[in-house]
Amino acid sequence: MNLQEYFSLVFSDYTLRTITLGTAILGAVTGMLGSFAVLRKQSLLGDAISHAALPGIALAFLITGAKDSNTLLLGALVSGLIGTFWIRGIISKTHLKSDTALGLILSLFFGFGMLLLTFIQKQPNANQAGLDKYLFGQAATLVESDVWLMAIVTGICVVVMLLFWKEFKLLLFDADYTKTLGFNTKFIDILITTFIVLAIVLGLQTVGVVLMSAMLLAPAAAARQWTNSLSKMVLLAAIFGAFSGVFGTAISASQNNLSTGPVIVIVASVFVVFSFIFSPSRGLLFRQIRFINNRRDLELQKTLSFMYRIAETHDDISHPHAIKILNNFQGFTKKTLQKLVNKNYVTIDGTMWSLTEEGFETAANLYNQNFKADV
Amino acid sequence: MSSAQLEIQLIASIVAVACAIPGTFLVLRKMAMISDAISHSILPGIVVGFFITQDLNSPLLILLAALTGVITVALVERIQKTGLVKEDTAIGLVFPVLFSIGVIMIAKNANDVHLDIDAVLLGELAFAPFDRLTVGGTDIGPKSLWVIGTILLITIALLIAFFKELKVSTFDAGLSASLGFSPIIIHYGLMTVASVTTVGAFDAVGAILVVALMIAPAACAYLLTTDLKKMLGLAIFFGVFSAIAGYWVAHWLDASIAGSITTTLGVVFFIIYLFAPSKGLIAVTYREKQQRIEVSLLTFLLHLKNHSEERERHVNHLNEHINWQKVRSKTVLDLALKNNMILINNSIVSLTEKGDAFTSQAINYIVTNEDAQIEDMKEDFFLFRG
Repeated sequence: MNLQEYFSLVFSDYTLRTITLGTAILGAVTGMLGSFAVLRKQSLLGDAISHAALPGIALAFLITGAKDSNTLLLGALVSGLIGTFWIRGIISKTHLKSDTALGLILSLFFGFGMLLLTFIQKQPNANQAGLDKYLFGQAATLVESDVWLMAIVTGICVVVMLLFWKEFKLLLFDADYTKTLGFNTKFIDILITTFIVLAIVLGLQTVGVVLMSAMLLAPAAAARQWTNSLSKMVLLAAIFGAFSGVFGTAISASQNNLSTGPVIVIVASVFVVFSFIFSPSRGLLFRQIRFINNRRDLELQKTLSFMYRIAETHDDISHPHAIKILNNFQGFTKKTLQKLVNKNYVTIDGTMWSLTEEGFETAANLYNQNFKADV
Repeated sequence: MSSAQLEIQLIASIVAVACAIPGTFLVLRKMAMISDAISHSILPGIVVGFFITQDLNSPLLILLAALTGVITVALVERIQKTGLVKEDTAIGLVFPVLFSIGVIMIAKNANDVHLDIDAVLLGELAFAPFDRLTVGGTDIGPKSLWVIGTILLITIALLIAFFKELKVSTFDAGLSASLGFSPIIIHYGLMTVASVTTVGAFDAVGAILVVALMIAPAACAYLLTTDLKKMLGLAIFFGVFSAIAGYWVAHWLDASIAGSITTTLGVVFFIIYLFAPSKGLIAVTYREKQQRIEVSLLTFLLHLKNHSEERERHVNHLNEHINWQKVRSKTVLDLALKNNMILINNSIVSLTEKGDAFTSQAINYIVTNEDAQIEDMKEDFFLFRG
């Protein structure tokens, strides 16, 4: 199947439609909540939580003995929340730093989850096969009820976010001020964190434990480059996330042997790279162009002040001089010279240049300004 | 105990030691999450190396994969330097992408690669003794034992040679730079060692256990000591202990050895997290409570000193005036009495000479903004702590 076939089939084929919708919704909700994680400097929390959810899945299976995805996700949610709050406990009560706490919970919970999974595999329960899809995720196993669940959770997320928008925003940028205003910061904090955990847990089935953190970060990091406004960033992140989901599914469906999760992550990272380079205000390309322009301006000023020094020694300021003598000076290029002519600071006659009245004035002020700045 | 069992425990212990050494420095330098990133992003390196060598234990593969680890670190730093995102976001962006590339490379060549992502991530220690190294027809032990043993020897040699430099640059980066030790060389040296260790160990124990073995023992040791050498020693001890105990738990449960070693590490960490003498949860909570009561005591004494009139010093009045609950004011009163700082006569509280001296000195410190000194002063005055 090639890409064109995919897009013609996406509305009619049940499996394709379900998966595409599922990944799109997932991308949107993780992008939205990921914006908060990125701005709160909790980027790696997603990685830790997704790993910490594994023992919950295994325990839920051990207790119920059934592979109902809702029960398993509930287990994942509980264990993810325990992990999150333990991380906070470690950071606030002991000397261990946040990175150590994250790494600890991540690896210890995941290892425990693996122990349980291998233990389950030895059990005489035919049901156990396929639990490991949560490790790497299999978008192909999504069914309509999963998509409905995702849609409902996303709906709740949006409603809560709109309700508490002001509080979230305040807490994000000035936690102390929020507290002095009388908001219950602990409650808001727990609310945001719980929703982030919820979004991660939802994604486990689709992209898996390992790659979930990228789903959370990449759309938000890309969106951050285009705007300085929180609402626009959240919206953009949701759009980027949804598109990564759709394109990722499309590409992986059009090729053999391509799992959806990794492709979605790579598509999302393409968004990030594109944003890093081409964003107008923060992007690397435009920053480099601005840098070069600034340097040119500086060189122009240097040339002008060099000319001024020469002209100063003559009674007639517009006395012509050879362009050649400017060659000793590093800042002189044909372009800067032309620019000076355009600005009417200099006139050029053959191989000779001379300062105009206006150029002399400007250069004198330039010199004075520099002099003042020095003092 | 069969020789295979012995070999498994030996490999696990050596991996634990080899991980604990770089792990200690990663934890101290607040770069623990880098080890997680490296453990994931070596995957494409391993895959490419495997295409070339067709052998998971070849030195070329280890070097290639370790190179990917160092590239990860360099990429993270490069992204961070642009100032577009924070460091943790940079880490979180780089390693999933590299990991995804690795997964896709495996999936695309699934037919001619005997390489499983599960195996890379989780490892299978139980099979390690079966892959043996033979030299000239004689069996000289499991391959992974030789690989990780060599890595350990190199790590120890580097540690001894550069201990001083590592120590200075870890605790005072500015000083070490001014002394002429290049921070970049030390940083990348450490990262290279961490990458090589991760790669050397992943085959035996899996990428996730490598992370656990790097961070958890060091974190345990960090809660118990403030001396770098002791911390290294303790980390190695906890690592080896968990490796051996974890092996027997796995044996008993008939489950994954890597998972069970990690779980043992988790249990060890949890115990230390709760009970560590001065940095553990219980000790910290107790100290916080003690300090709260002692601060209340100081407030109380200051109030007494400020008011000479009897009305202000009546026990019941104090209750309302400072607005404390009954229990709290009783604890504070008792503590003050026990320490001979107040006298109660007909329900009128007054400062003793000692209480007066304590309060004056405390005011002195507060006025001169040296509040920290009050903590030392408590040693001299208090017979009983809060």
